Amino acid sequence: MYGTVQRTAPFLISIAVGILIWEVAGHYSNAAFLVPFSATLERLWELFHDGALLGQLLDSAILFVTGLTLAILVGMPAGMLLARMRGLRVAIEPYIMIIYATPMVALIPFILSMMGFGFAPKVLVVFLFAVFSVLYNTVEGARSIKPELIEVARSYRSSEWALWRDVLIPYTLPFTMTGIRQAIGRALVGMVAAEFFLSSTGIGQVIMTASQNFDTAGVFASILLIGLIGVGLMRIGTKIENHFARWRN
Amino acid sequence: MTSLSATDSHAAPEQTRSFWTSDAAKRIAAGVIILLLWEGVVRAFAPAYVAKPTGVIQAIPKVLSDPAFLKAAAQTLTACAEGLVIAIVLGTVIGLAMGRSLFAERFLRHYINGFYAVPMIVVLPLMSLWFGYTSNARLATIVFASLFSIIINVADGAKAVSKDYLEVASSYRSGRLRMMIDIVLPSSTPYFLAGLRLAAGRSLIGAVVAEFFTAIGGIGYFILYNSRTFHHNEAFVGVLLLAAFGLGFELLVAAGTRRYLPWYRRDERN
Repeated sequence: MYGTVQRTAPFLISIAVGILIWEVAGHYSNAAFLVPFSATLERLWELFHDGALLGQLLDSAILFVTGLTLAILVGMPAGMLLARMRGLRVAIEPYIMIIYATPMVALIPFILSMMGFGFAPKVLVVFLFAVFSVLYNTVEGARSIKPELIEVARSYRSSEWALWRDVLIPYTLPFTMTGIRQAIGRALVGMVAAEFFLSSTGIGQVIMTASQNFDTAGVFASILLIGLIGVGLMRIGTKIENHFARWRN
Repeated sequence: MTSLSATDSHAAPEQTRSFWTSDAAKRIAAGVIILLLWEGVVRAFAPAYVAKPTGVIQAIPKVLSDPAFLKAAAQTLTACAEGLVIAIVLGTVIGLAMGRSLFAERFLRHYINGFYAVPMIVVLPLMSLWFGYTSNARLATIVFASLFSIIINVADGAKAVSKDYLEVASSYRSGRLRMMIDIVLPSSTPYFLAGLRLAAGRSLIGAVVAEFFTAIGGIGYFILYNSRTFHHNEAFVGVLLLAAFGLGFELLVAAGTRRYLPWYRRDERN
Protein backbone atom coordinates (compact mmCIF):
# COMPACT_ATOMS: atom_id res chain seq x y z
CA MET A 1 0.00 0.00 0.00
CA TYR A 2 2.71 2.40 1.03
CA GLY A 3 4.66 1.54 -2.16
CA THR A 4 1.74 2.38 -4.47
CA VAL A 5 1.15 5.70 -2.72
CA GLN A 6 4.80 6.58 -3.03
CA ARG A 7 4.85 5.69 -6.70
CA THR A 8 1.62 7.38 -7.72
CA ALA A 9 1.76 10.46 -5.50
CA PRO A 10 4.37 12.38 -7.56
CA PHE A 11 2.45 11.49 -10.71
CA LEU A 12 -0.87 12.74 -9.33
CA ILE A 13 0.69 15.89 -7.91
CA SER A 14 2.44 16.72 -11.17
CA ILE A 15 -0.77 16.17 -13.16
CA ALA A 16 -2.76 18.27 -10.67
CA VAL A 17 -0.23 21.13 -10.81
CA GLY A 18 -0.20 20.97 -14.61
CA ILE A 19 -3.99 21.16 -14.78
CA LEU A 20 -3.97 24.05 -12.31
CA ILE A 21 -1.45 26.00 -14.43
CA TRP A 22 -3.52 25.30 -17.56
CA GLU A 23 -6.73 26.40 -15.80
CA VAL A 24 -5.26 29.65 -14.45
CA ALA A 25 -3.46 30.50 -17.70
CA GLY A 26 -6.67 29.80 -19.60
CA HIS A 27 -8.67 32.22 -17.49
CA TYR A 28 -6.20 35.03 -18.05
CA SER A 29 -5.70 34.64 -21.80
CA ASN A 30 -7.74 35.33 -24.89
CA ALA A 31 -10.36 32.63 -25.46
CA ALA A 32 -9.35 32.29 -29.11
CA PHE A 33 -5.81 31.43 -27.97
CA LEU A 34 -6.16 29.21 -24.93
CA VAL A 35 -9.19 27.89 -23.10
CA PRO A 36 -9.11 26.68 -19.48
CA PHE A 37 -9.01 22.98 -18.68
CA SER A 38 -12.57 23.06 -17.32
CA ALA A 39 -13.92 24.57 -20.56
CA THR A 40 -12.01 21.95 -22.57
CA LEU A 41 -13.57 19.13 -20.56
CA GLU A 42 -16.99 20.71 -20.91
CA ARG A 43 -16.58 20.89 -24.69
CA LEU A 44 -15.39 17.28 -24.79
CA TRP A 45 -18.50 16.25 -22.86
CA GLU A 46 -20.66 18.17 -25.33
CA LEU A 47 -18.96 16.52 -28.28
CA PHE A 48 -19.63 13.11 -26.76
CA HIS A 49 -23.25 14.02 -26.08
CA ASP A 50 -23.89 15.11 -29.64
CA GLY A 51 -23.40 11.44 -30.40
CA ALA A 52 -21.27 12.16 -33.43
CA LEU A 53 -17.95 11.77 -31.66
CA LEU A 54 -18.34 8.07 -30.86
CA GLY A 55 -19.12 7.30 -34.48
CA GLN A 56 -16.11 9.33 -35.63
CA LEU A 57 -13.88 7.51 -33.15
CA LEU A 58 -15.14 4.19 -34.45
CA ASP A 59 -14.34 5.25 -38.04
CA SER A 60 -10.83 6.18 -37.00
CA ALA A 61 -10.39 2.95 -35.06
CA ILE A 62 -11.42 0.83 -38.05
CA LEU A 63 -8.94 2.68 -40.26
CA PHE A 64 -6.15 2.34 -37.68
CA VAL A 65 -6.71 -1.35 -37.00
CA THR A 66 -7.02 -2.29 -40.68
CA GLY A 67 -3.83 -0.47 -41.69
CA LEU A 68 -1.81 -1.70 -38.72
CA THR A 69 -2.98 -5.31 -39.12
CA LEU A 70 -2.02 -5.32 -42.79
CA ALA A 71 1.36 -3.82 -41.91
CA ILE A 72 2.04 -6.58 -39.37
CA LEU A 73 0.78 -9.32 -41.69
CA VAL A 74 3.09 -8.13 -44.47
CA GLY A 75 6.05 -6.80 -42.51
CA MET A 76 6.63 -9.77 -40.23
CA PRO A 77 6.76 -12.63 -42.76
CA ALA A 78 8.63 -10.46 -45.26
CA GLY A 79 11.22 -9.58 -42.64
CA MET A 80 11.76 -13.22 -41.70
CA LEU A 81 11.95 -14.28 -45.31
CA LEU A 82 14.62 -11.65 -45.92
CA ALA A 83 16.49 -12.95 -42.89
CA ARG A 84 16.54 -16.48 -44.35
CA MET A 85 17.56 -15.42 -47.85
CA ARG A 86 20.84 -13.65 -47.37
CA GLY A 87 21.36 -12.83 -51.04
CA LEU A 88 18.00 -11.14 -51.39
CA ARG A 89 18.46 -9.27 -48.14
CA VAL A 90 21.87 -7.89 -49.07
CA ALA A 91 20.45 -6.82 -52.40
CA ILE A 92 17.43 -4.89 -51.19
CA GLU A 93 18.52 -3.66 -47.74
CA PRO A 94 19.80 -0.29 -48.98
CA TYR A 95 16.49 0.39 -50.67
CA ILE A 96 14.50 -0.50 -47.56
CA MET A 97 16.69 1.89 -45.62
CA ILE A 98 16.12 4.68 -48.12
CA ILE A 99 12.35 4.22 -47.94
CA TYR A 100 12.52 4.02 -44.14
CA ALA A 101 14.32 7.39 -44.07
CA THR A 102 11.88 9.06 -46.47
CA PRO A 103 9.07 11.02 -44.81
CA MET A 104 6.02 8.95 -45.81
CA VAL A 105 3.75 11.99 -45.56
CA ALA A 106 5.35 13.27 -48.75
CA LEU A 107 3.65 10.42 -50.64
CA ILE A 108 0.14 11.39 -49.52
CA PRO A 109 -0.51 13.85 -52.41
CA PHE A 110 0.40 11.12 -54.93
CA ILE A 111 -1.92 8.63 -53.25
CA LEU A 112 -4.66 11.25 -53.23
CA SER A 113 -4.45 12.04 -56.92
CA MET A 114 -4.12 8.40 -57.98
CA MET A 115 -6.63 6.73 -55.67
CA GLY A 116 -9.01 9.51 -54.72
CA PHE A 117 -11.05 9.79 -51.56
CA GLY A 118 -12.18 6.27 -50.65
CA PHE A 119 -11.33 4.03 -47.72
CA ALA A 120 -8.57 2.12 -49.57
CA PRO A 121 -6.16 5.07 -50.05
CA LYS A 122 -6.43 5.87 -46.35
CA VAL A 123 -5.64 2.31 -45.36
CA LEU A 124 -2.68 2.48 -47.73
CA VAL A 125 -1.38 5.57 -45.92
CA VAL A 126 -1.66 3.94 -42.49
CA PHE A 127 -0.08 0.77 -43.88
CA LEU A 128 2.86 2.66 -45.42
CA PHE A 129 3.47 4.59 -42.21
CA ALA A 130 3.57 1.39 -40.16
CA VAL A 131 4.97 -1.40 -42.32
CA PHE A 132 8.61 -0.39 -42.46
CA SER A 133 9.00 -0.28 -38.67
CA VAL A 134 7.81 -3.88 -38.48
CA LEU A 135 9.93 -4.97 -41.44
CA TYR A 136 13.09 -3.17 -40.33
CA ASN A 137 13.01 -4.49 -36.76
CA THR A 138 12.14 -8.03 -37.83
CA VAL A 139 15.08 -8.10 -40.23
CA GLU A 140 17.34 -6.71 -37.50
CA GLY A 141 16.17 -9.45 -35.12
CA ALA A 142 16.42 -12.29 -37.60
CA ARG A 143 19.89 -11.16 -38.62
CA SER A 144 21.13 -11.44 -35.08
CA ILE A 145 20.19 -15.13 -34.74
CA LYS A 146 23.35 -17.02 -33.90
CA PRO A 147 24.40 -19.08 -36.92
CA GLU A 148 25.17 -21.93 -34.50
CA LEU A 149 21.47 -22.27 -33.69
CA ILE A 150 20.62 -22.76 -37.32
CA GLU A 151 23.59 -25.06 -37.87
CA VAL A 152 22.63 -27.29 -34.94
CA ALA A 153 19.04 -27.45 -36.17
CA ARG A 154 20.30 -28.32 -39.64
CA SER A 155 22.68 -30.99 -38.40
CA TYR A 156 19.70 -32.66 -36.71
CA ARG A 157 18.06 -32.68 -40.14
CA SER A 158 15.49 -30.12 -39.10
CA SER A 159 13.09 -29.28 -41.88
CA GLU A 160 12.71 -25.69 -43.08
CA TRP A 161 9.29 -25.50 -41.44
CA ALA A 162 10.61 -26.79 -38.09
CA LEU A 163 13.48 -24.32 -38.31
CA TRP A 164 11.02 -21.45 -38.67
CA ARG A 165 8.76 -22.74 -35.94
CA ASP A 166 11.42 -23.52 -33.34
CA VAL A 167 14.24 -21.09 -34.06
CA LEU A 168 13.41 -18.26 -36.39
CA ILE A 169 10.00 -17.14 -35.14
CA PRO A 170 10.62 -17.45 -31.38
CA TYR A 171 13.97 -15.70 -31.72
CA THR A 172 12.69 -12.85 -33.86
CA LEU A 173 9.38 -12.23 -32.13
CA PRO A 174 10.72 -9.85 -29.43
CA PHE A 175 12.34 -7.72 -32.11
CA THR A 176 9.15 -7.73 -34.16
CA MET A 177 7.30 -6.56 -31.06
CA THR A 178 9.64 -3.57 -30.79
CA GLY A 179 8.77 -2.88 -34.42
CA ILE A 180 5.07 -3.20 -33.69
CA ARG A 181 5.37 -0.78 -30.77
CA GLN A 182 6.97 1.78 -33.09
CA ALA A 183 4.43 0.96 -35.79
CA ILE A 184 1.53 1.73 -33.42
CA GLY A 185 2.83 5.29 -33.00
CA ARG A 186 3.47 5.74 -36.68
CA ALA A 187 0.11 4.26 -37.69
CA LEU A 188 -1.59 6.76 -35.41
CA VAL A 189 0.21 9.61 -37.20
CA GLY A 190 -0.72 8.01 -40.52
CA MET A 191 -4.35 7.74 -39.46
CA VAL A 192 -4.62 11.43 -38.59
CA ALA A 193 -2.64 12.42 -41.71
CA ALA A 194 -4.98 10.37 -43.89
CA GLU A 195 -8.00 11.97 -42.22
CA PHE A 196 -6.55 15.46 -42.64
CA PHE A 197 -5.26 15.28 -46.18
CA LEU A 198 -7.42 12.64 -47.88
CA SER A 199 -11.16 12.63 -47.33
CA SER A 200 -11.97 14.17 -43.99
CA THR A 201 -13.46 11.58 -41.61
CA GLY A 202 -13.12 10.34 -38.07
CA ILE A 203 -11.38 12.15 -35.29
CA GLY A 204 -9.30 14.10 -37.84
CA GLN A 205 -12.51 15.61 -39.17
CA VAL A 206 -13.58 16.58 -35.65
CA ILE A 207 -10.38 18.61 -35.21
CA MET A 208 -10.61 20.11 -38.70
CA THR A 209 -14.20 21.22 -38.19
CA ALA A 210 -13.37 22.74 -34.81
CA SER A 211 -10.39 24.65 -36.21
CA GLN A 212 -12.33 25.91 -39.23
CA ASN A 213 -15.04 27.22 -36.93
CA PHE A 214 -12.42 28.87 -34.69
CA ASP A 215 -13.78 26.65 -31.93
CA THR A 216 -10.61 26.71 -29.81
CA ALA A 217 -12.23 24.67 -27.03
CA GLY A 218 -13.14 22.01 -29.59
CA VAL A 219 -9.57 21.92 -30.91
CA PHE A 220 -8.19 21.52 -27.39
CA ALA A 221 -10.81 18.90 -26.54
CA SER A 222 -10.00 16.75 -29.57
CA ILE A 223 -6.22 17.14 -29.17
CA LEU A 224 -6.57 16.12 -25.53
CA LEU A 225 -8.60 13.10 -26.60
CA ILE A 226 -6.13 11.99 -29.28
CA GLY A 227 -3.27 12.64 -26.87
CA LEU A 228 -4.82 10.35 -24.27
CA ILE A 229 -5.49 7.71 -26.92
CA GLY A 230 -1.86 8.01 -28.08
CA VAL A 231 -0.52 7.62 -24.55
CA GLY A 232 -2.83 4.67 -23.93
CA LEU A 233 -1.79 2.90 -27.13
CA MET A 234 1.88 3.51 -26.33
CA ARG A 235 1.34 1.94 -22.89
CA ILE A 236 -0.23 -1.11 -24.50
CA GLY A 237 2.60 -1.31 -27.04
CA THR A 238 5.26 -1.14 -24.34
CA LYS A 239 3.39 -3.79 -22.29
CA ILE A 240 3.33 -6.15 -25.27
CA GLU A 241 6.98 -5.45 -26.03
CA ASN A 242 8.06 -6.10 -22.44
CA HIS A 243 5.99 -9.27 -22.29
CA PHE A 244 7.88 -10.71 -25.23
CA ALA A 245 11.22 -9.23 -24.19
CA ARG A 246 11.33 -11.64 -21.25
CA TRP A 247 12.79 -14.40 -23.35
CA ARG A 248 14.98 -12.10 -25.39
CA ASN A 249 18.16 -12.90 -23.50
CA MET B 1 19.15 1.31 -34.56
CA THR B 2 22.14 -0.25 -36.19
CA SER B 3 22.68 0.26 -39.87
CA LEU B 4 20.89 -2.17 -42.12
CA SER B 5 23.70 -2.18 -44.62
CA ALA B 6 26.31 -3.66 -42.31
CA THR B 7 27.40 -7.02 -43.64
CA ASP B 8 27.33 -10.17 -41.56
CA SER B 9 30.59 -11.44 -40.20
CA HIS B 10 29.76 -15.11 -40.62
CA ALA B 11 29.11 -14.77 -44.31
CA ALA B 12 32.57 -13.54 -45.23
CA PRO B 13 33.81 -16.39 -47.48
CA GLU B 14 31.15 -15.72 -50.07
CA GLN B 15 32.42 -12.23 -50.68
CA THR B 16 35.95 -12.94 -51.78
CA ARG B 17 35.11 -13.92 -55.35
CA SER B 18 34.66 -11.73 -58.41
CA PHE B 19 32.67 -8.53 -58.73
CA TRP B 20 29.70 -10.35 -60.22
CA THR B 21 28.98 -12.26 -57.04
CA SER B 22 29.79 -9.36 -54.71
CA ASP B 23 27.25 -7.54 -52.56
CA ALA B 24 27.60 -4.38 -54.62
CA ALA B 25 26.62 -6.20 -57.80
CA LYS B 26 23.58 -7.70 -56.08
CA ARG B 27 22.52 -4.28 -54.85
CA ILE B 28 22.91 -2.68 -58.25
CA ALA B 29 21.01 -5.56 -59.85
CA ALA B 30 18.20 -5.21 -57.32
CA GLY B 31 18.05 -1.47 -57.95
CA VAL B 32 17.79 -2.00 -61.69
CA ILE B 33 15.07 -4.63 -61.23
CA ILE B 34 13.07 -2.35 -58.91
CA LEU B 35 13.27 0.53 -61.40
CA LEU B 36 12.32 -1.73 -64.33
CA LEU B 37 9.35 -3.15 -62.41
CA TRP B 38 8.18 0.33 -61.47
CA GLU B 39 8.51 1.56 -65.03
CA GLY B 40 6.77 -1.52 -66.42
CA VAL B 41 3.86 -1.47 -64.00
CA VAL B 42 3.22 2.24 -64.49
CA ARG B 43 3.39 1.95 -68.29
CA ALA B 44 1.07 -1.04 -68.34
CA PHE B 45 -1.57 -0.10 -65.77
CA ALA B 46 -1.37 3.54 -64.69
CA PRO B 47 -2.46 6.78 -66.37
CA ALA B 48 0.21 8.79 -68.17
CA TYR B 49 0.71 11.40 -65.45
CA VAL B 50 1.84 8.90 -62.81
CA ALA B 51 5.52 9.19 -61.92
CA LYS B 52 7.86 6.62 -63.48
CA PRO B 53 11.68 6.39 -63.43
CA THR B 54 12.25 7.65 -66.98
CA GLY B 55 9.87 10.54 -66.39
CA VAL B 56 11.48 11.44 -63.06
CA ILE B 57 14.97 11.36 -64.57
CA GLN B 58 13.84 13.69 -67.35
CA ALA B 59 12.26 15.99 -64.79
CA ILE B 60 15.35 16.24 -62.57
CA PRO B 61 17.36 18.82 -64.60
CA LYS B 62 14.25 20.87 -65.23
CA VAL B 63 13.22 20.95 -61.57
CA LEU B 64 16.71 21.52 -60.19
CA SER B 65 17.21 24.53 -62.46
CA ASP B 66 13.83 25.96 -61.50
CA PRO B 67 14.39 28.95 -59.16
CA ALA B 68 10.99 28.39 -57.55
CA PHE B 69 12.03 24.88 -56.52
CA LEU B 70 15.38 26.04 -55.17
CA LYS B 71 13.64 28.72 -53.17
CA ALA B 72 11.15 26.17 -51.81
CA ALA B 73 13.98 23.83 -50.81
CA ALA B 74 15.84 26.67 -49.09
CA GLN B 75 12.68 27.72 -47.21
CA THR B 76 12.00 24.22 -45.89
CA LEU B 77 15.62 23.57 -44.96
CA THR B 78 16.05 26.93 -43.23
CA ALA B 79 12.86 26.36 -41.25
CA CYS B 80 14.07 22.89 -40.21
CA ALA B 81 17.48 24.26 -39.19
CA GLU B 82 15.92 27.07 -37.15
CA GLY B 83 13.45 24.73 -35.51
CA LEU B 84 16.19 22.22 -34.69
CA VAL B 85 18.37 24.92 -33.12
CA ILE B 86 15.48 26.02 -30.89
CA ALA B 87 14.67 22.40 -30.04
CA ILE B 88 18.34 21.62 -29.29
CA VAL B 89 18.75 24.57 -26.91
CA LEU B 90 15.44 24.03 -25.12
CA GLY B 91 15.75 20.26 -25.20
CA THR B 92 19.27 20.21 -23.78
CA VAL B 93 18.37 22.54 -20.91
CA ILE B 94 15.17 20.67 -20.01
CA GLY B 95 16.79 17.27 -20.57
CA LEU B 96 19.77 18.07 -18.33
CA ALA B 97 17.43 19.37 -15.64
CA MET B 98 15.36 16.18 -15.82
CA GLY B 99 18.40 13.96 -15.80
CA ARG B 100 20.05 15.56 -12.79
CA SER B 101 17.15 16.71 -10.64
CA LEU B 102 14.65 14.27 -9.22
CA PHE B 103 12.11 17.05 -8.78
CA ALA B 104 12.24 18.12 -12.45
CA GLU B 105 12.17 14.48 -13.52
CA ARG B 106 9.09 13.69 -11.42
CA PHE B 107 7.29 16.82 -12.44
CA LEU B 108 8.01 16.77 -16.16
CA ARG B 109 8.45 13.10 -17.12
CA HIS B 110 4.75 12.33 -17.69
CA TYR B 111 4.27 15.44 -19.74
CA ILE B 112 7.30 14.86 -21.92
CA ASN B 113 6.36 11.21 -22.54
CA GLY B 114 2.78 12.26 -23.14
CA PHE B 115 3.65 14.93 -25.67
CA TYR B 116 6.02 12.52 -27.36
CA ALA B 117 3.20 10.00 -27.74
CA VAL B 118 0.79 12.56 -29.21
CA PRO B 119 0.86 12.21 -32.99
CA MET B 120 2.54 15.52 -33.81
CA ILE B 121 0.30 16.10 -36.76
CA VAL B 122 -2.73 16.84 -34.52
CA VAL B 123 -1.16 20.09 -33.32
CA LEU B 124 -1.35 21.55 -36.85
CA PRO B 125 -4.84 23.04 -36.45
CA LEU B 126 -3.81 24.53 -33.12
CA MET B 127 -0.62 26.00 -34.56
CA SER B 128 -2.56 27.53 -37.42
CA LEU B 129 -5.04 29.00 -34.93
CA TRP B 130 -2.20 30.45 -32.87
CA PHE B 131 0.18 31.63 -35.55
CA GLY B 132 -2.12 31.97 -38.54
CA TYR B 133 -1.29 30.44 -41.89
CA THR B 134 2.29 31.70 -41.74
CA SER B 135 5.80 30.32 -41.60
CA ASN B 136 5.67 30.74 -37.80
CA ALA B 137 3.11 27.93 -37.69
CA ARG B 138 5.59 25.76 -39.58
CA LEU B 139 8.41 26.70 -37.23
CA ALA B 140 6.28 25.91 -34.18
CA THR B 141 5.28 22.55 -35.67
CA ILE B 142 8.94 21.71 -36.34
CA VAL B 143 9.90 22.60 -32.76
CA PHE B 144 7.02 20.51 -31.39
CA ALA B 145 7.98 17.61 -33.64
CA SER B 146 11.66 17.58 -32.70
CA LEU B 147 11.81 18.83 -29.10
CA PHE B 148 10.66 15.79 -27.14
CA SER B 149 12.97 13.20 -28.65
CA ILE B 150 15.92 15.46 -27.75
CA ILE B 151 14.66 16.00 -24.18
CA ILE B 152 14.11 12.28 -23.61
CA ASN B 153 17.52 11.30 -24.92
CA VAL B 154 19.46 14.06 -23.16
CA ALA B 155 17.69 13.18 -19.89
CA ASP B 156 18.62 9.51 -20.32
CA GLY B 157 22.21 10.51 -21.06
CA ALA B 158 22.45 12.82 -18.08
CA LYS B 159 21.12 10.04 -15.86
CA ALA B 160 23.68 7.56 -17.14
CA VAL B 161 26.70 9.66 -16.17
CA SER B 162 29.08 7.63 -14.04
CA LYS B 163 28.80 8.53 -10.35
CA ASP B 164 32.58 8.26 -9.92
CA TYR B 165 33.24 11.31 -12.11
CA LEU B 166 30.71 13.40 -10.22
CA GLU B 167 32.05 12.30 -6.85
CA VAL B 168 35.62 13.13 -7.79
CA ALA B 169 34.54 16.52 -9.14
CA SER B 170 32.51 17.38 -6.06
CA SER B 171 35.28 16.26 -3.73
CA TYR B 172 37.39 18.89 -5.47
CA ARG B 173 34.60 21.36 -4.62
CA SER B 174 33.47 21.76 -8.20
CA GLY B 175 30.25 23.78 -8.55
CA ARG B 176 26.99 22.31 -9.80
CA LEU B 177 26.92 24.33 -13.00
CA ARG B 178 30.56 23.60 -13.70
CA MET B 179 29.91 19.84 -13.34
CA MET B 180 26.93 20.14 -15.66
CA ILE B 181 29.00 21.77 -18.39
CA ASP B 182 32.24 19.85 -17.99
CA ILE B 183 31.04 16.37 -17.09
CA VAL B 184 27.34 15.76 -17.67
CA LEU B 185 27.08 17.55 -21.00
CA PRO B 186 30.05 15.87 -22.75
CA SER B 187 29.27 12.40 -21.44
CA SER B 188 25.67 12.57 -22.61
CA THR B 189 26.67 13.64 -26.12
CA PRO B 190 26.12 10.20 -27.69
CA TYR B 191 22.59 10.11 -26.30
CA PHE B 192 22.06 13.64 -27.53
CA LEU B 193 23.18 12.61 -31.02
CA ALA B 194 20.79 9.65 -31.00
CA GLY B 195 18.02 12.08 -30.09
CA LEU B 196 19.14 14.55 -32.73
CA ARG B 197 18.97 11.86 -35.43
CA LEU B 198 15.36 11.13 -34.51
CA ALA B 199 14.59 14.82 -34.19
CA ALA B 200 16.00 15.67 -37.62
CA GLY B 201 13.75 13.11 -39.29
CA ARG B 202 10.76 14.31 -37.34
CA SER B 203 11.52 17.95 -38.14
CA LEU B 204 11.38 17.21 -41.87
CA ILE B 205 8.02 15.47 -41.43
CA GLY B 206 6.80 18.40 -39.34
CA ALA B 207 7.83 20.88 -42.01
CA VAL B 208 6.15 18.91 -44.79
CA VAL B 209 2.84 18.40 -42.98
CA ALA B 210 2.78 22.06 -41.93
CA GLU B 211 3.24 23.08 -45.56
CA PHE B 212 0.48 20.70 -46.67
CA PHE B 213 -1.81 22.11 -44.05
CA THR B 214 -1.14 25.84 -44.29
CA ALA B 215 -0.08 25.97 -47.96
CA ILE B 216 3.00 28.07 -47.21
CA GLY B 217 5.93 27.83 -49.62
CA GLY B 218 8.42 24.95 -49.32
CA ILE B 219 9.18 21.47 -50.64
CA GLY B 220 6.03 20.07 -49.09
CA TYR B 221 3.90 22.62 -50.86
CA PHE B 222 5.87 22.09 -54.08
CA ILE B 223 5.00 18.38 -53.92
CA LEU B 224 1.37 19.11 -53.10
CA TYR B 225 0.96 21.66 -55.88
CA ASN B 226 2.64 19.60 -58.58
CA SER B 227 0.82 16.40 -57.73
CA ARG B 228 -2.51 18.24 -57.73
CA THR B 229 -1.79 19.59 -61.19
CA PHE B 230 -0.80 16.07 -62.30
CA HIS B 231 2.92 16.81 -62.61
CA HIS B 232 3.84 13.68 -60.67
CA ASN B 233 7.33 13.36 -62.13
CA GLU B 234 8.25 16.86 -60.99
CA ALA B 235 6.62 16.31 -57.60
CA PHE B 236 8.60 13.12 -57.14
CA VAL B 237 11.88 15.01 -57.49
CA GLY B 238 10.79 16.84 -54.32
CA VAL B 239 10.30 13.49 -52.57
CA LEU B 240 13.77 12.40 -53.70
CA LEU B 241 15.23 15.58 -52.25
CA LEU B 242 13.49 14.93 -48.92
CA ALA B 243 14.81 11.36 -48.88
CA ALA B 244 18.30 12.70 -49.66
CA PHE B 245 18.08 15.14 -46.75
CA GLY B 246 16.89 12.45 -44.37
CA LEU B 247 19.58 10.01 -45.45
CA GLY B 248 22.27 12.68 -45.63
CA PHE B 249 21.63 13.75 -42.07
CA GLU B 250 21.76 10.13 -40.86
CA LEU B 251 25.13 9.64 -42.54
CA LEU B 252 26.43 12.97 -41.25
CA VAL B 253 25.59 12.11 -37.64
CA ALA B 254 26.99 8.58 -38.02
CA ALA B 255 30.24 9.93 -39.51
CA GLY B 256 30.45 12.65 -36.85
CA THR B 257 30.03 10.05 -34.10
CA ARG B 258 32.84 7.92 -35.52
CA ARG B 259 35.15 10.89 -36.04
CA TYR B 260 34.62 12.90 -32.87
CA LEU B 261 33.33 10.35 -30.37
CA PRO B 262 35.49 7.33 -31.17
CA TRP B 263 35.23 6.19 -27.54
CA TYR B 264 31.53 5.64 -27.96
CA ARG B 265 30.35 2.12 -28.77
CA ARG B 266 26.69 1.60 -29.40
CA ASP B 267 26.71 -1.94 -27.98
CA GLU B 268 27.86 -0.72 -24.57
CA ARG B 269 24.48 0.83 -23.99
CA ASN B 270 22.72 -2.47 -23.53
